[in-house]
Amino acid sequence: MMQTPMDKIFLIISTVCFFGGFAYAVNGLRAGRHHDNRANLLVMGVGFLFLCATLYLRGEIHHRCPITSLHEVLIFLSWSMVLLYFILGKTFRLSLLGVFTAPLVLLFQLAALVGFFLEGEPAAIGKDTDKIDGWLELHASVSLVSFGALALAGVAGLMYLVQNRQLKRKQLKALFYNLPPIRYLLTAVVRLIVIGVVLLTIGTISAFFMRNVPIPLHQGLSILTWLAYVILLALYLSKRIGNTKFAQGAMVLFSLPILILLIL
Amino acid sequence: MNILCLGVNHESAAVEIRERMAFAHKHLAESLHEIQALDSIEEVVVLSTCNRVEIYVTSQNMEPGFDQLRSYLDNHFEMQVGETVDFYKLHNEGAARHLFAVAGGLDSMVLGETEIFGQVKKAYADAQQAGSTSRTLNKLFQQTFRAGKLVRTSTQLTRGATSVGSVAVDLAEKIFGNLSTCRVMLIGAGDMSRRTAKSLHSRGAKSIIVSNRSYDNAVKLAEEMDGKAIHFDHWSDSLNEVDIIVSSTAAPHQVIHAEMISAAMPQRGHQPLFVIDIAVPRDVDPAVSDIENVYLYDIDALEGIASQTRNERKKQVAFCDQVLDQFIEEHGIEALVPSPGGPPQKTPKSDQIHSQDSASSQALPES
Repeated sequence: MMQTPMDKIFLIISTVCFFGGFAYAVNGLRAGRHHDNRANLLVMGVGFLFLCATLYLRGEIHHRCPITSLHEVLIFLSWSMVLLYFILGKTFRLSLLGVFTAPLVLLFQLAALVGFFLEGEPAAIGKDTDKIDGWLELHASVSLVSFGALALAGVAGLMYLVQNRQLKRKQLKALFYNLPPIRYLLTAVVRLIVIGVVLLTIGTISAFFMRNVPIPLHQGLSILTWLAYVILLALYLSKRIGNTKFAQGAMVLFSLPILILLIL
Repeated sequence: MNILCLGVNHESAAVEIRERMAFAHKHLAESLHEIQALDSIEEVVVLSTCNRVEIYVTSQNMEPGFDQLRSYLDNHFEMQVGETVDFYKLHNEGAARHLFAVAGGLDSMVLGETEIFGQVKKAYADAQQAGSTSRTLNKLFQQTFRAGKLVRTSTQLTRGATSVGSVAVDLAEKIFGNLSTCRVMLIGAGDMSRRTAKSLHSRGAKSIIVSNRSYDNAVKLAEEMDGKAIHFDHWSDSLNEVDIIVSSTAAPHQVIHAEMISAAMPQRGHQPLFVIDIAVPRDVDPAVSDIENVYLYDIDALEGIASQTRNERKKQVAFCDQVLDQFIEEHGIEALVPSPGGPPQKTPKSDQIHSQDSASSQALPES
């Protein structure tokens, strides 16, 4: 019984950490001190650990993957975004990705917090093992990680547009010196969309094997999302659209996963 | 024990004086030993660069220490009677603070330049090798490296580039990242394009194509940079093969037209093209800037960014001073350099010293 308030407390601490990390990074950028972002990474890391703890406690309550409500889905999505940022941010040489990711994560977590405080007693769904549908667990978790990758692709797209605008207008602000080169940003957008599409393929296919197939609108939107990203990628790789349109597309198309989450 | 600093820099002495006073590197160890052998001097480090000659010593007695140093310099550099040199004399906290500011690039002619940090390190390493440092200067220089690093990393003093060539290189790196895969084409082999190309080459750009009206000059410059020369009539054939174009011809009309670039871009896929136009009158049609993935910078744009950086750096000086104040407060410089002769000196003082010795004038090589 003591676990229920703890998950909320952990989520609050995690949200405060992400807010602190974001505020610290923005302040550092304004003062030109972003070179040393270890403190920022540390705060983000602590926030991520508390997010893991929140999901663990919710999993313990439900006896299954904690994606049983919209606010849990948002927490899971935040978790996957931060995880992918930690894994891929360094690999893709994307400094500042955290600064751009944090506001989105904050938004999701604040919405989740509201849901947490409005919900009643969470149900132990998984106690009756017959109720657990492995395909549903796979569909939901893999789809959410794919949404995390697609969200980061949108964030990298935004970073590209900001950097491109500064280069084109020859107005080099503080951000210019801290943002990665545009070539790296475009590579990152492509790779993140590929990762997102591959995971979404697994997520969408697994939905067909679920005990209770999702409502047609949900399933239709998932397929539409998959198709939209595949078309965007195909247009870009076949050189039918330029870098700017591709980056804009990566940003705009993220509204589709958001729409899927809203109709859950 | 007192720390003393006697020196001249680009603000206090003209280049004629500074070049006379430069310590030749091959005789530096000998000079360090000579200074250390002076009665009042115990440890010594000589910092001798194009823009400054500063001698840091430790001495039990402040005034005799300065006097002996001054006499040594007069003799060593064979100053003539009546010759006036604007030395600055700093001691203890004033000397330490000055050295911190020097290492941080705050006292440089190009504010915030980073080369000085390496020069301070080299000066200290030379003195250590010559055995002319001990406890006090060792501690002082270790603190100096920490302070210099702190200024560089915690402020915007070193951010951006201050010359046209380095602005071009910075921009290229913000477009392409690592320049080692970038191909560069020079149209015109003038001095500015040569310098810009060398900057790009030094930052990794390997494949360089040179095109010039005088083919011989193109070949000469291409050889300097392990590149290849092409005839001026054929430069447009290579447009889709290069990532960076540096144009600086003496042509009175535009050489690169928007149509040429537009035609070449589809073959380049999504690869950006960086066009640097350093010619006056301009070589490149300004409409090139409207083409997607093409980044055109002319001489005014590059100079504007360099100028903006210089202004930003000036604005950072007060903040850098605060950083140094905090560093000194936290690291207790008073403990490092106790000043029995009175309270620590807060601000640098400059004393004009007149050379008294008569000797023949002889220019010394700059180290």
